Amino acid sequence: MQRRLLYTLVTTALCAVFMLTACAPAATPTSAPPTAVPATAAPAVAATCLTVGALYGGPMNDAGYNQAMHESMVVMAKNIPCVKLIEAENVPDEAGAKTTMQNMLGQGAKLIFATASNHQNPAVELAKANPDVKFEIAGGWLMGDNYANYYADVPDSWYAMGAAAGMMTKSNKLGFVAAFPIGWTVTFINSFELGAKSVNPQIQTIVAYSFAWGDHAKEADATNSLINQGVDVITMHVDSPSTVISTAESRGVYSIGFQDLAAQQFAPQFWITGTGFTLGGKVTFLTQSVIDKTWKPIFLRCKMSEGCMALAPFGPKVPQTVQDNVKQTLSALDSGEIVVFKGPIKDQAGNVKVADGATLSENDMGSLDWFVPGVVGQPK
Amino acid sequence: MTLLALLGVISSAIYSGTSLLYTTLGEVIDERSGIVNLGLEGVLLVSAALGFAVTKQTGNPYAGILAAILAGGGMNLVLGYLVITRQANQLASGLALMFFGYGLSALIGNSYVGAKINPLPRYVLPGLSNLPLAYASLFKFDFLIILAVPMAFLVWWLLFRTRWGLGVRAVGENADTAFASGRNPQRIRYQALFVGGLLAGLGAAHLAIAYTMDWSEYMTAGRGFIAVALVIFSKWDPLRAIAGALLFSAAVAFQLLLQSAGVQVSPFLLNTIPYVLTILVLIAWGGHRNQSAPASLGRIYRGTE
Amino acid sequence: MTSGADSPPRSDFFRASLLPTITRYLATILLAFVLFGIILWLSGRNPFESYQHIFQSALGSSYGFSEVLVAMTPMLITAVAVAFPARVGLINVGVEGQLYMGALFATWGALTFPGLPAWILLPSMVGLGVLGGALWAFIPGYLKSIGLVNETITSLLLNSVAPSIVSFFVFGFWHAPRDTNITANFVPAGRLPTFFGTRIDLSFLIALGLLVVFWLFMKYTRWGLEMRAIGGNPPAARRNGIPLQLYLVVTMAIGGGVAGLAGTAQVSGYYGLLLSNFSNGLGFMGFLISWLAAGDPLGIFLIAFVVAVITTGGNLLQLTQGLPYAVINILLAFTLFIVLARPNFLSREKRS
Repeated sequence: MQRRLLYTLVTTALCAVFMLTACAPAATPTSAPPTAVPATAAPAVAATCLTVGALYGGPMNDAGYNQAMHESMVVMAKNIPCVKLIEAENVPDEAGAKTTMQNMLGQGAKLIFATASNHQNPAVELAKANPDVKFEIAGGWLMGDNYANYYADVPDSWYAMGAAAGMMTKSNKLGFVAAFPIGWTVTFINSFELGAKSVNPQIQTIVAYSFAWGDHAKEADATNSLINQGVDVITMHVDSPSTVISTAESRGVYSIGFQDLAAQQFAPQFWITGTGFTLGGKVTFLTQSVIDKTWKPIFLRCKMSEGCMALAPFGPKVPQTVQDNVKQTLSALDSGEIVVFKGPIKDQAGNVKVADGATLSENDMGSLDWFVPGVVGQPK
Repeated sequence: MTLLALLGVISSAIYSGTSLLYTTLGEVIDERSGIVNLGLEGVLLVSAALGFAVTKQTGNPYAGILAAILAGGGMNLVLGYLVITRQANQLASGLALMFFGYGLSALIGNSYVGAKINPLPRYVLPGLSNLPLAYASLFKFDFLIILAVPMAFLVWWLLFRTRWGLGVRAVGENADTAFASGRNPQRIRYQALFVGGLLAGLGAAHLAIAYTMDWSEYMTAGRGFIAVALVIFSKWDPLRAIAGALLFSAAVAFQLLLQSAGVQVSPFLLNTIPYVLTILVLIAWGGHRNQSAPASLGRIYRGTE
Repeated sequence: MTSGADSPPRSDFFRASLLPTITRYLATILLAFVLFGIILWLSGRNPFESYQHIFQSALGSSYGFSEVLVAMTPMLITAVAVAFPARVGLINVGVEGQLYMGALFATWGALTFPGLPAWILLPSMVGLGVLGGALWAFIPGYLKSIGLVNETITSLLLNSVAPSIVSFFVFGFWHAPRDTNITANFVPAGRLPTFFGTRIDLSFLIALGLLVVFWLFMKYTRWGLEMRAIGGNPPAARRNGIPLQLYLVVTMAIGGGVAGLAGTAQVSGYYGLLLSNFSNGLGFMGFLISWLAAGDPLGIFLIAFVVAVITTGGNLLQLTQGLPYAVINILLAFTLFIVLARPNFLSREKRS
């Protein structure tokens, strides 16, 4: 009896303590000690001019897409020191995104960067409910009074990568590990193959799907499977290229990176080159425009030559001639000398998909469902 | 369908089946002593995270493997405490352990996402180094892969040829009888759980340190549950587990091959193979299942223990 | 190894008088919080601040509180899906799979009949969802009743089959034009209505109603009594003329149907589309809640509430403490561990 009384008293006391901590005069959310915020925000010296929230679909240091997005935020925070940056990673689905963005709004965010493709819908919903907050959606396509999108112009650089692969391959078989056969991925694969074919029309690109954006075991499986079919250059469109590249490296196969320049560290020997998103400049521009109250919704796309994507340094086994050639290809693409998807282009079955003189529009590319000849695999 | 491609399927099956085999072997031992570990998923995740973290910190993959092994044993001991000492329900405790593993692994692995490690060295099997590179690289295995099948034999020997194994199986059949014949069921079950956990940790180590060579949250993607299914499928026999693990991994590898041959087999349907097969096998046995499963396991599934 | 009775620790924990019950309950949670606080502190975070954030986020605002209720709803339903068959001694650990199948069937309805008005579409979707879950539970129930396979094993195995089937349909046939692992949004007629501008939808009321119905059913109807008889002593029940096989199969199917309802609520209310792998252990959580509450509706409500507070509040921790969201599972697990371990000071009688 005594013991029970004692325990009940202790319990009540602990309870009271917890209640007090919960009801303590709320240090208002925005004054959570700066050191608790992951890595990036400079200790707010000056008054905070803007609180910015950024959410990523995967981990921030995945050496891939999410890291690239995160790095662009870091650049922005460095360029505009009075900004307070709140980041959330591993926000995989729409409902979770909504909760996270809601929490960010509760912390005073007035500009939110949603970087994963399935963050678009919740971002739009919240944008309509919070007209005083601006939303920028990476890779999105919807626009409204207070929401817009931004991205890099990707397909062109894939052509150059294809050319690089074409010049390095000995077996004339290239491998592409992809997450899903969605429109953009199909476009990238086509662009890659067209670039390779410009070097040697015999080259094939074999496609293997992992059916997940970030399942590393499946990516390793897919990479091994491609290598087992004689492929000697591997590239990919998944969230993080690290596993694909490490696996290729461990089997002595060349790799070309995508998403983030940090991927190179995984292939010290057999790296050819790669491309990565470098959207820091644009993110800074967008943030500054919100601070200056000059923000307008725009469909922001920019090319490699404009700084939105960067070419990775070449690996140790890449001869100078190849390097020069790749750079030349890139400038030709930039100047319009080479247009990747200029007709006539046929699909694997021989049907004409792009008529003579026409090209593919942004919408077409986003919902493409056919492969050019030379690609081995199913486009849908 | 070239020879290279077929050999490739076998090679892929061996590569990705190794971690599955170790995990299944560990669970075989556990279940032989009468304990089901539904939290295997959590155990694997924590072992993988810790193993990867230690490998990155020390630069030494062997240290990482050791850490993963011990972590596996440790996690299983937590289950043991709940289930043996506190006599909590096994299914519920296993699930709680799974959630624990989700959280703990995320905490441990957080700073190591995207890190690059020194992977295990790979050796070409003797005699094969004269083959053209494409073939030879198919069969460059790290030492954990080479050890996998011998380990299955070791586990078989442990369970069926040692006194300890006899004790484990006795406890698995009927703990009260075992107690009456002078054994300590509690101690034996703890030991079985610990050893089983060591093996599960080894499986996780191979996955993170040798195969994918990285860490990400939830990276085991259901392997823990696949292992539980495979244990049933292989009738709690370590040698049959080899076939089970290989078959499943081969199916995955084969599907990839079919993809590029233009055949559309949905990988999602293929994912269901180990489970559907197990159910069919169970139905086929019907009432005879009792002869292969440890008897007290049945009581757990019936809720009477 | 155990005492003769095979039932989980039933009403010991939730005996009649409310205050000691709640006190005991709170003690468990507090112990878990203290342990988690130690982990937070060891990893360099401030435990007090963290808890402050959790509570403020979950309980400090009406929106936060509404989020707790939203998180609670599927868990209430899945817990009933486990508790109901448990009364006849069936272990329905297959809720996860039934959840998915219910969602699948309901999605089929929403996508195939977008033109129907809400008052036809919604009930149809609910019906489809219940059907899907029931079918999925029927398989293990049937196999058990004809003596072939134990239902725990089969439902466990089917758990892993269901998400793959869902992915197959979503990816293969139903995916949105630009995203492959989700379907298109459901038409507004296919979505459960929400209240007060929060995300609480009709399924919360359905869940509460379900708890009440469950309680009434078990206590006051003839079938409820028969079920308890079976649960207590199957051979005796059979001898008394209760059709055992029928009850087993039907009960399992009903449990599955309820789980299917939870799945429907998720896709129709919470998400508004079908997403592959939408359940982050919801089914297992329901199993745990039901088991910990010993199948008691009040206990289910309380435990689900606490779990929901933890998971909802944990979302903010990610932003303010830089912890991965998954870490909140540790707190959850500690709470579960402690209740499972049944520490002595929490029980009334001495446990030998």
